Amino acid sequence: MAERVFITGMGMITAIGDDVAENLRSLRAQQSGLGYTQQLQTIYKEVLPVAEVKHTTPGLSEIAGVAGQEGYTRTALLGLIAMREALRSAGISNVQDEPTGFINASTVGGMCDTENVYFEIADPAKTGDFIRFIDTLDCADCTQRIADTVGIDGYITTISTACSSSANALMYGARLIRSGLARRVICGGTEALTRFTLNGFNSLKNIDKRPCMPFDKDRNGLNLGEGAAYLVLESESLVKDRNAPVLAVLSGYANTNEAFHPTAPSPEGDGAYAAMKGAMEMGGCVPADIQYVNVHGTATLSNDVAEGMALQRLFGEQVPPFSSTKPFTGHTLAAAGGIEAIYAVLAIQHQLIFPNLHFKEQMEELYITPASTLLEDYPVRHVLSNSFGFGGNNASLLISKYEG
Amino acid sequence: MAAISPQHTFDGELTQPLTVTQGNMLSCVEPDYRGFIAPNSLRRMTRVLKMGLATSLKCLQDGGIAVPGAIVTGTGKGSLQDTERFIKEIRDYEERALNPTPFIQSTYNAVNGLIALQQKCTQYNNTFVHRGFSFEHALLDSLLLLSEGTPDVLAGAFDEITPEHFFIKGRIGHWKKETISNDQLYAHVSPGTISGEGAAFFLLTPQATEKSYAQIGGLQMLYKPSSEKLQCTLSQFLEQHGVQADEIDLVLTGANADSNHGHYYDVLTAYPKWTQLPFKHLCGDYETVGAFALWLGAMIVKQQQVPQHWFPMLEKQPGRMRNVLIYNHFFGEQHCFMLLQQVK
Repeated sequence: MAERVFITGMGMITAIGDDVAENLRSLRAQQSGLGYTQQLQTIYKEVLPVAEVKHTTPGLSEIAGVAGQEGYTRTALLGLIAMREALRSAGISNVQDEPTGFINASTVGGMCDTENVYFEIADPAKTGDFIRFIDTLDCADCTQRIADTVGIDGYITTISTACSSSANALMYGARLIRSGLARRVICGGTEALTRFTLNGFNSLKNIDKRPCMPFDKDRNGLNLGEGAAYLVLESESLVKDRNAPVLAVLSGYANTNEAFHPTAPSPEGDGAYAAMKGAMEMGGCVPADIQYVNVHGTATLSNDVAEGMALQRLFGEQVPPFSSTKPFTGHTLAAAGGIEAIYAVLAIQHQLIFPNLHFKEQMEELYITPASTLLEDYPVRHVLSNSFGFGGNNASLLISKYEG
Repeated sequence: MAAISPQHTFDGELTQPLTVTQGNMLSCVEPDYRGFIAPNSLRRMTRVLKMGLATSLKCLQDGGIAVPGAIVTGTGKGSLQDTERFIKEIRDYEERALNPTPFIQSTYNAVNGLIALQQKCTQYNNTFVHRGFSFEHALLDSLLLLSEGTPDVLAGAFDEITPEHFFIKGRIGHWKKETISNDQLYAHVSPGTISGEGAAFFLLTPQATEKSYAQIGGLQMLYKPSSEKLQCTLSQFLEQHGVQADEIDLVLTGANADSNHGHYYDVLTAYPKWTQLPFKHLCGDYETVGAFALWLGAMIVKQQQVPQHWFPMLEKQPGRMRNVLIYNHFFGEQHCFMLLQQVK
């Protein structure tokens, strides 16, 4: 029998807070992180809302404890801040006391910094400081920067499956533990806002000019966000050995593909249905066991129909409370799965269900509506956290209360 | 298996003469894609998407399975052409009226999505994007899936080089200053190496079949190891897989004449009896070159012969090839040992 996989630490930074405690405070206060960008050079500066982390890049390097040191992109800095908190939270003062893996996720790596100097980098006539950003464009740079800074040298890799990236990172880390290849793996993702992704999603016409409205009849697209989140996963035996407190159990997961269209889900949500069902089955749960679904809920026309159909198919008339937290954080792409996994743990720890902000009117295609107010003292034991992406990639995580 | 590389590999034979490229950037010998990809799709797709998709489809054809139990890939750079195109269009059109196609195709999991879509494969699907660990983690993930009960896995890797990216990486010393042809690579030990690209896919099953080329006996990754750690890990690796040093019949090495990072291959000098063959004069260097090495090693194990015309440095054909070791690293950072064994 494979060992159970426990969540023993977590760290994050998003537009609604620089750490887990601040995120929880903003979620409870129902305070959205959406606004207009102060950092990004784009013609959409005052047109498209984004959920930006409220610090300049040099400001982030101070928080990350690497002020004045060169070569850290915004992506790497966001990740490093979340990583340091995750280690602290798990009570790990020396990460090398146990072979530790790091499975990171990113969709465009250091694009946030390279896109500003790309044409100088590519121009043989130009020389200068920008040369230091040459090797930061790929997704591995941020992973290695973070690993090297805190001293991780076990299994190390980066996953990129669009918006399901960090959910897949958590899944892969859990599988490394269950197979016995590792006892501790830190998993999650980091993503900074870029002109590249903003224009990418805008060219697909799925960015809303208003704050996004997931699962609302009037929804018209997503808002991008930035942030990073990591969870420390440890095997049951390591937790016992070091007497570590357990925050929650990663009790199930599934990865499926839509095989339907490069950028759209099947209208009936086949992949979402299979991912949620698979994660529940692995964790030994039936639909009635689930108290909360943190939906992917991008607020695009097609996602919310497909995901809603999948929820209705899976839960029938008894769909548990569900909400999208994207109106708080924006859609943070590769970081979303990690951020929302932490929100799932918070829901369990504090017996809360977070509201789906900006919801007004039921969608015509669905009979369900999201939780639109904060539900307190709600008995949450099992949470499904969904992350779906381009390429038909679907991932669903089942996070459960630790009960010994 | 199937591979597109700077050599004639797509027909699945090792019979064509060595392709020699002048200059330090090796490009793939591309097949006619029309047998694999519909004409309207072909028009929209850039090079690495075509290479990745065609190689995966040919691999499935070779393995006789239409819908694999999972699709796992690795790529260091994804679709560079699409990334370059989109970044230029953002500048040229000042962020207005952009065509979304290059953005969609630039996502690293685009090839995986295309394979799943074309084969209607709704199972597990994952993409690793970590330099010299991209393919290696795709392979580890696949081995885990097989041990968890997945009946078969399509695993592969793809990377392309463009002239612009070749120039960019040249600025930080990736390539040799002197211009050489690939057949002269090992005579030019100096800083940097030559650049390459390729796609290779494998259909992996938990039990051997009549079609099996070889068995993956072991896989070990090391991140930025010291020379001592490397040495120690190699002997442990052999021991762990029950192989005596004198049972290694051939070693394929990633030695690439780069004087900055070449010293790691000295780990092999502790085993002076091993026949060592470097392979990067065939394919150049790139993030997922490990997939090409695995393809080549499996071909050699299956055919029980080293293609002499590709390896003029080989003095004498090894006898029986039961155990082939592959050791490669990517610019000194991501190191990997792979053990390939003859199917019993």
